[in-house]
Amino acid sequence: MKFPSLPRIPLAWYNLRHDRPRLLVAVAGVTFAVLLMFMNLGFLGALVSTTTNFYDEFNGDIFLISPQSLEISSTKAFPRERLYQAKGIEGVQQVMPLYAEYALWKNPETSLSRAMFVYAFNPSDPVFLMPELNTPEGRRALQQPNTAFIDRRSRPEFGPQTVGLETEADRRRITVVGQYDLGGGFAADGTLIMSDQNFRRYFDPRPLDQVNLGLVLLEPGADAQRVKVALQDQLPADVEVYTKTEIVLKESQFWIQTTSIGFIFGLGVLVSFIVGTVIVYQILYTDIRDHLREYATLKAIGYSGSYLFKTVIQEAILLALMGYVPGLILALGLYELAVNATAGTLPMQMTVFRVIFVFTLTLLMCALSGLISVRKAVTADPAEVFA
Amino acid sequence: MTAPSTTPGSPAVATEASIQVRNLNYFFGKGDLRKQVLYDISLDLHPGQIVIMTGPSGSGKTTLLTLIGALRSATDGSLRVLGQELVGMGSRQLVELRRNIGFIFQAHNLFESLTAAQNVEMAVELTGNFRGKRQQAVDILSQLGLAERANYKPAALSGGQKQRVAIARALVNQPQLILADEPTAALDKQSGRDVVTLMQHLANEKGCTILMVTHDNRILDVADRIINLVDGRLESDESPQQFVDSHTPQSLDQKMFIM
Repeated sequence: MKFPSLPRIPLAWYNLRHDRPRLLVAVAGVTFAVLLMFMNLGFLGALVSTTTNFYDEFNGDIFLISPQSLEISSTKAFPRERLYQAKGIEGVQQVMPLYAEYALWKNPETSLSRAMFVYAFNPSDPVFLMPELNTPEGRRALQQPNTAFIDRRSRPEFGPQTVGLETEADRRRITVVGQYDLGGGFAADGTLIMSDQNFRRYFDPRPLDQVNLGLVLLEPGADAQRVKVALQDQLPADVEVYTKTEIVLKESQFWIQTTSIGFIFGLGVLVSFIVGTVIVYQILYTDIRDHLREYATLKAIGYSGSYLFKTVIQEAILLALMGYVPGLILALGLYELAVNATAGTLPMQMTVFRVIFVFTLTLLMCALSGLISVRKAVTADPAEVFA
Repeated sequence: MTAPSTTPGSPAVATEASIQVRNLNYFFGKGDLRKQVLYDISLDLHPGQIVIMTGPSGSGKTTLLTLIGALRSATDGSLRVLGQELVGMGSRQLVELRRNIGFIFQAHNLFESLTAAQNVEMAVELTGNFRGKRQQAVDILSQLGLAERANYKPAALSGGQKQRVAIARALVNQPQLILADEPTAALDKQSGRDVVTLMQHLANEKGCTILMVTHDNRILDVADRIINLVDGRLESDESPQQFVDSHTPQSLDQKMFIM
């Protein structure tokens, strides 16, 4: 009988596989930790994109904002003259003011009022990219007094959103004349868009020469970075100049770094990591304790401590792999669920970076528990087995 | 104490001793708790010899066995095993040396997750023989009457079968030195006899040295020498016949609890 050259016996795999219920518990534990990490990062990622994805619908290449503004819903207004000054810079094609305030929107069915975030612009400016706002009918409707478009992604608590609906905003009658899709991020539960003239009506005595956000459109072929620098040089210090990418980054950083939201989800990831580490440690430790005599025997017959070290780390890595895959699949399912449950306002999307990041964390988590538990195996006294 | 040079039961051997113990003392613990367990042991074991070590429990048999097996570090005296001085040797070298020694333990210490053949292969892998490891494992298992059981896991084997797998693991690399602690205790008469016959074969054909701690009087006849350890001292070193004669029931030493 002939035997082929065989690989080294995969002791780690056999040891793990031997006790099926324990393996199942261990894999479930890793899966759970992986899932928790994905969910926390998913929420964090969704937060980042909800705070920024409305910028995709803003028709600007460069943005002007007051240095005292934190993010879009807590802006400090700056003088409209800055926009006129900006218009004189080479490469700037058009400048457009955007106004923003909170209004109390009354749900016509329950009569309960709720804070609604209001954007206002001059309907002749192409400030927004949503198709509904760029039709001649849409513009005409906006120009009627006491009218507004409503965001389809506003929470249902604001009541019906049908076109033609009449209700009150800041104790003034308002008529819904159109709908669009934008989303309010974490700061707003719902948004309205109205003309600057209506804005003047609803938020009297606020003048229109105080602007919340300035949108700058560049001439075709103009270099955004160069124009930005020029704007910075020309404009006084009461406005800051950002490209689209920069303002998106600035807003995400505001939410992640200076509110508890980033901290909470970061902590969530950390806790999941620790929970996973403890579970894997527990499983590995029990496994080593149960096989201590066998490990000591291996040392007695001439295996070195490093072989045992490798075996335990291999077990840890195997657990990481076996727990990660179902964790990823479950996370994809839950992301889908979260998107559906929030009608698309919480855009939880898996990114390649996150897939790799969580995988790395999982490997680290298992390797760490392996390192904590491996000492017991490596220090197994071979003389013990003769006792 | 019998001088080690006047070894009975074996011809004057010109070859170098496999085990050469000189004035070996061994202590457990440190400081005030330091307790001597072996006193001035001197002993020579030669290739091809089967030596049985007896003595009451607590006499230091196992300690001596683990010292010779490079499982503990000796610090006092001289201990040469397979031509290497163990006193003062680093732990890495001790591990290397252990690969040339076959260990048979009282408990089988088999991996429950591996089959009988795989348990034996674990030992073969130490030699780097990955091509022939399965063949070697199956061969040695067959010699021990376990050909049919090669692919069974320990849970599906009887106590005696498990012990024979453990013995197969110890013997598969044909070590020059075999150290055994009650290897036949868990075996029935026939399996026990098969095991010692295999050991005898190894000793005679391959010049293997065998040191065995046993209280099993069914296998005393295979011994070339019987050494008796009492309270950490080498009490006697005799041929089996002398041993039987001096341990007749009339003259039975209280400390002896076999025969």
